[in-house]
This record gives sequence, C-alpha cells and structure tokens, in this order.
Amino acid sequence: MTEFMLKRRHVLMGMTATTLGGLALPGGLRAQDATPKRGGTLRISHTTRIATLNVLNLSGPAEYPVADMLYSGLTRIGLDSKAHPDLAERWEASADAKEFTYFLREGLTFHDGSPCTAEDVVATFEAILNPDVPAAARSVLNMIDRIEAVDPLTVRFHLSMPFADLPFSTAHANARILSRAALAAPLTELDTKANGTGPFKLETYDSARILRLVRNDNYYQPDKPHLDAVEMLLFPDLAAESANFLSGATDVMLTVQQAEYARIEAAAGIEAQRVASGRYVCVVMRQDQKPWDDVRVRKALALATDRELLVQVILEGLGRPAYDSLVAPELEFATEKPVIPYDPEAAKKLLAEAGYPDGLKVELVASDRPAIRVQTAIALQQTAAAGGFDINIVTMPHDTYLAEVWMKGAFYIGYWGTQPTIDATYKLLLTSDGSYQDTEWKNTEFDKLIIEGSATTDPAKRAEIYARVQEMELADTPYVVPFFEDVLTANSDKTFGWTVAPISRYYYIEDVWLDRG
Amino acid sequence: MREILRNPAGLVGSFLLVIVLSAAVLGPFVAPYDPQQFHAASRLQGPSAAFWLGTDQYGRDLLSRLLNGAPATVLFGLGATALGVGAGSIIGVIAGVAGGRVDSIIMRVLDGLLAMPELLFTLLIVTFLGGGTSQAMLAVAVTFTPGMARISRSAVLSVRTRDYVQAAIARGESRSWIVGREVLPNALGPIIVEATIRVSFAIMIGATLGFLGLGAQPPSTEWGLMVAEARQFMFRNPWCVAVPGVAIAITAMGFNLFGDALRDAFDPRRRRI
Repeated sequence: MTEFMLKRRHVLMGMTATTLGGLALPGGLRAQDATPKRGGTLRISHTTRIATLNVLNLSGPAEYPVADMLYSGLTRIGLDSKAHPDLAERWEASADAKEFTYFLREGLTFHDGSPCTAEDVVATFEAILNPDVPAAARSVLNMIDRIEAVDPLTVRFHLSMPFADLPFSTAHANARILSRAALAAPLTELDTKANGTGPFKLETYDSARILRLVRNDNYYQPDKPHLDAVEMLLFPDLAAESANFLSGATDVMLTVQQAEYARIEAAAGIEAQRVASGRYVCVVMRQDQKPWDDVRVRKALALATDRELLVQVILEGLGRPAYDSLVAPELEFATEKPVIPYDPEAAKKLLAEAGYPDGLKVELVASDRPAIRVQTAIALQQTAAAGGFDINIVTMPHDTYLAEVWMKGAFYIGYWGTQPTIDATYKLLLTSDGSYQDTEWKNTEFDKLIIEGSATTDPAKRAEIYARVQEMELADTPYVVPFFEDVLTANSDKTFGWTVAPISRYYYIEDVWLDRG
Repeated sequence: MREILRNPAGLVGSFLLVIVLSAAVLGPFVAPYDPQQFHAASRLQGPSAAFWLGTDQYGRDLLSRLLNGAPATVLFGLGATALGVGAGSIIGVIAGVAGGRVDSIIMRVLDGLLAMPELLFTLLIVTFLGGGTSQAMLAVAVTFTPGMARISRSAVLSVRTRDYVQAAIARGESRSWIVGREVLPNALGPIIVEATIRVSFAIMIGATLGFLGLGAQPPSTEWGLMVAEARQFMFRNPWCVAVPGVAIAITAMGFNLFGDALRDAFDPRRRRI
C-alpha cells in the first residue's frame, strides 16, 4: 500500500517537474484526488522539545516543521529532492557559476504586514555570513563573497568560487528570510518571536507543552494554507504519543519509531508513510593506520556485512540496503550502485591475502545514542564473525564518544542525515577538507573532481563528473555503509496531503487539509 | 538451617535461591545457544520447542541470554552488598566502639547521607562516575554504606555493655581482642540478616541502572538491560520483557524471603518451640 503510494507520488512529482518546470511549487499536485477543504486545526504530536524558534540555528526534529511553517526561503527543496522556487519565483546563474540573480515574487509581506524586499534578503544572508551570529547555514553558504540588492525585487549573489549548487544552499532549512528589522533587534528575540513570510503565524508558544500557529491570510500562494491553525503537541513519552494518536486525539504523528510502525500501520483509520531517505549509518575505518589502510581489509568487512539482515533486524525492514556509497539514490546525479553480496568466505580469503589468515581482532566503538549505533554494532559483530572478524564492541555515553572517539578513533559507528546534494554529501565527510573528514582517506584526484563538479553548470557534464567521483568511492570503500533508513511518519485518514521530504526538513503543511466528515 | 526450612517463607526463599544460584553457576554451560547468536528467521517469537522462552528483536534465544546473564546479575548483587556491608560495618563498629565525639561526628554525617533517597543517591554517583557495571556496583555499595553502618553500630552498642564484655575488660584484654572475639561475633547476626535482604535491593537497583542505560552496556546479557532493550518491542512480543523481568523478581524475592526467615531464626522470641 505504502510502496504503491510512494511510486505514484514519484510519478506525479516527475510530471510536475517536467510539465510545469520552474513554475511548479514544491510538493504541488499531491492531494489533487479530491478538492481540498478549507478550515480546521491540524494537531501534530512530537516527542522532542521545541526549544527555540530561532530559524538561524534551530536543529531539533520538531523545530524544523515549525520553521517550515513560519518562514520561507528563496528556494525550497521539493519531494523530488530538487530546488524549487519559494520566495524567489526564478533565478539565473552566470555561465561560470560565480554570479546568481534571484527574482523575488511581487507583493511579499511579513506576518506583521511590512513588505519583504531584496533589502531583507540581503540582511538575512549578511547575518548568516556574520561570524558573530550563530548560523547553521553558514557552512553551505561560505562561498558567497557579496550580496547586492539590485532593485526591490532582485538580489544578486557574487561568489568567491564557482558553485553551481547555490539554489540548494539557499534552500537550507536555516537560511529562511528574516526581516531587516528583526535582525536589527537583539537576536535573542528570535528564540520566542517569529515574523516570517511562511504560511502560518505564531499564536502561542509554550516549549514545555504546545505551540499553536494560525493561518497567514497574506501567504503568497493563493488560497493556501487550507488549514485555519496548526498545533504542535509535545509528548515526552513515546507510549503516550502513540496512544493519543491511535485514539484520534492527534491527527499526525511526526515521527514513528521502527518498532511501532507495524502496529500503527495496522490500526484502523491510520495512514502510515515510509519515505525513502538518505539517512545512513556508516562504519568509520581510519586509514592512516593498520589494519584499515589496506583496501582488502575494508573490502573484506564490506563482504562480511549482511545488509539484508541488518535492514530486517535493525530497521524492521523499513529501509534499503546501501552498498558503501554515502550518496542516496534520490540525489541528482546519483548512479546505480552494484549490489555487494554477503559472502563471508570471500571476506576470509581477502583477509588472508591482506596478511590476516587467522582473522582479525578489532575493537568497535558505538555511542549509546541513538540506539541504532549500538544495534548496528551488535548486528555487525554477528555477521562479520563468519568472515573472520572478531569484533569486540565498546559502548560509551554519547558525550564521551564525541570528546574521545569521534574523528579520532580507528573503528567506530557514525550516523548521518540526508544531505541535499552529492557535493554536500562528500564535502561533509570525504573530501580532504571535509567538515567532518574522519577516515584520512584523502584523495587529491577526488578533491579536484568535486571542485570541478561544483564549478560546472552543464548538467550532462556534471553527471559525468559525479559518476566518476562515485566510482572512485566504490573502488576504495572509504566507509562501509550498510543501509539507508526510511523516514517514518503517520497521519489519520481524515488528514490529506501530509508528507515529509526525504531530507526531513520540509513539510509543505500549507498543502495539508482536513476532512473530518 | 532447619529453623529456616520449617518457616514457609524460608522454604520458598531457599527454594528460589537454589534455582537462582544454580542458574548463576551452571547457566552459561547449560544454555542451549550462544546468547549473542542471531536467528533472523524467528525474531520476536513466543516460547516454542526450539526456543523455550522465545526470542528477542534480533532473534536471540531468551533462555540462553537469561542463563548467561545470571552470574553477572547475581554477582552484581552479592558484590555490591559485600562492598557496602564491609565498608558500613567497619564504620559502624568504629563508631560504636569509640563512642563519644567520634561516634557523634560519624553518625551525623551518615544521617545526612541517609536523608537522601537511595535510588537518587545511586543515580547521582553513577552520573558522576559514568556508566558501566563496576561503576554501578560501586555506586550501590556507597549507597548501602550509611544504612549498614547504622545497623552495625546499634548491634555493637547493644553488645558493648553486656557482662561478658565487661568481664573481658576486667580481665585486662586488649581493645582489639575484645572487638574481634567478643563484640563482633555477637553483633554479626543482625548484620548478616540485613545483608541478605540488601542483596535483593542491590539486584533491583542494578537492574534499574541497567534499564536506565547507566549500568551494564549492550551487548551484555544483564537482566535490567535486557528489559530496556526489549521495551520497544513489548507490544509485539511481551515475552522478551516478561522473561528478564520475572527473573529479576524471582531473584529479589528469593533473597528477601530467605533474609526474613534468617531473621526469624536468629530472633529467640519468634523461635518456635
């Protein structure tokens, strides 16, 4: 049922992208089976606190949907994992990918009624680039040299180096447009107040209990949002959350745990959704030391990883096996990865060739949060044993792990979320100057190709470059990536149009409507 | 011993203890499977001929895990109690024998520590020391110390003024001889009884810490940790929570009933004729 829906949605998204081109709105056309009804209050349950509303650096799982409702960016990532117009109705890039011009929609206003113009956009990006302001989007926008308001509706970005993925960067969940006035006021006010351009306005905010948003009548999309109000309800206890959801006290369960998914999917009047995403667990093998400097040892571990079993046991089947590439299949320019079979005999042979005929004894560190790290370690210990790996698992508190093992240890479990582009995926972990480069794999040819890829605007040429980059990754196995985890969410069958983007930062709640019959 | 077995509570307690202790000694050798081995085809199943107590979320045999976890769980209880009782008795005997100002100072400090709820105090220590089995054991021992010191002190005080002690003092025996030969043997009864009952508390606190992720760490087979790991899967296979939970309850009950019976046996007023 859900798989079928996923496929149909993808087809629809493909049609949207091809027929409407740049005009397509993110998430459009999904709920067209019936005419949306106006009105109603959507109640969303979540289990993590909404600690701040400061869109510049919020990062909580329940904070992202709130930011997505309160604020809009220049661009927004759609369900197809591509950048779509948001406040900017279109954009142009210069041939050398060093200059981008965004054209804003006419008549945009903030929630307080003041107009949203190019000046506000410039102020927002200047704040993000200001090293004194904590801003999560700075790392993906640091190639911006200068921002210029050409006229009230036109903004031009001058980049210090070519970067063809800028429309993805401007869609960053923490790069939404704030008003110049809000940025001039003390920034701590952003924690509790919000004056955005998004589909909903803030009404009440109690971080320990509830956050209530009401319809923004001046939203730029005509006739949207369909809802009158949205309530984000905090349930610190998972069992209480699912009980309330199943009894109909809430309409949407933001995140469903894997262990609970089957039960919730089977409940009457509930639509559970699996969204294939690029969230992955990776096995980090530090390659400036023995034994992981030998590619045969890494390949042996890859062969000794039973990916099907891991997906089944750890994810309850709610994910897809991955084959040692960090690149999710959804991303633009992603290539088809060859299946790596579970073959412990071949792994043993490779280990023997590498000089370990009696197997290899190693210590694998897994932090205790989230539980999936330890679960992966336990399962890997089992499947790799047949391949000659004698793995001793060391678990530790997450803080200790971050301080003592992460980016230092020789063999440990990493866990990362989806990145919007191949460029961002590799720059996070694999390029020599990557933000969290922790394998010491360092390959200069790979680095060069990544730079070339971001400087190229011709899609055909980029596809070629990125295909080579992914080939290089597969040839060397810098990480063992056993699986991609699905994003799980659920809504009542009276809620229409609820969905989550694979990158789980964008929710399109302006498209959601209720029909309580 | 006959006294204990004549008491119904003692009989049940002894019976449970025999089961638990034999599981702790023989468990790892009689377990039908490797406790870490996955049986992916039969995950989260109830009891069957192949898996007598069912399987957990990885398809690991619950009976094998239970038997393998028994030594760790029981040793944790015994070890923490031994440490706590040892330290507590020494402090209590010193306070009781010394008397006067030393006694007052020690006892006021211990009163302060006693005012703190036991579990809260343990959590505080574990948070300070960090998670792990030995840290948890140490934390439980430290928590037990004030209570045990109080009990051993009162036992020493009640013995100290007895005639045989006075006689020894009159004979001109050395102080350490008096403490070692006259006071301690006669004060030992209440301490042993209390210690036996405390083992059950130690096991329960150990399981609680394991459950909260502060004690033993995965893939250990400690029982509290087993409950914590299986909690998510409670609706799909209640057995994976119930089995270690019942095991903890049986062990705690065994030590508790046995300790009660032991107290009755030591208490002449309750002794049957």
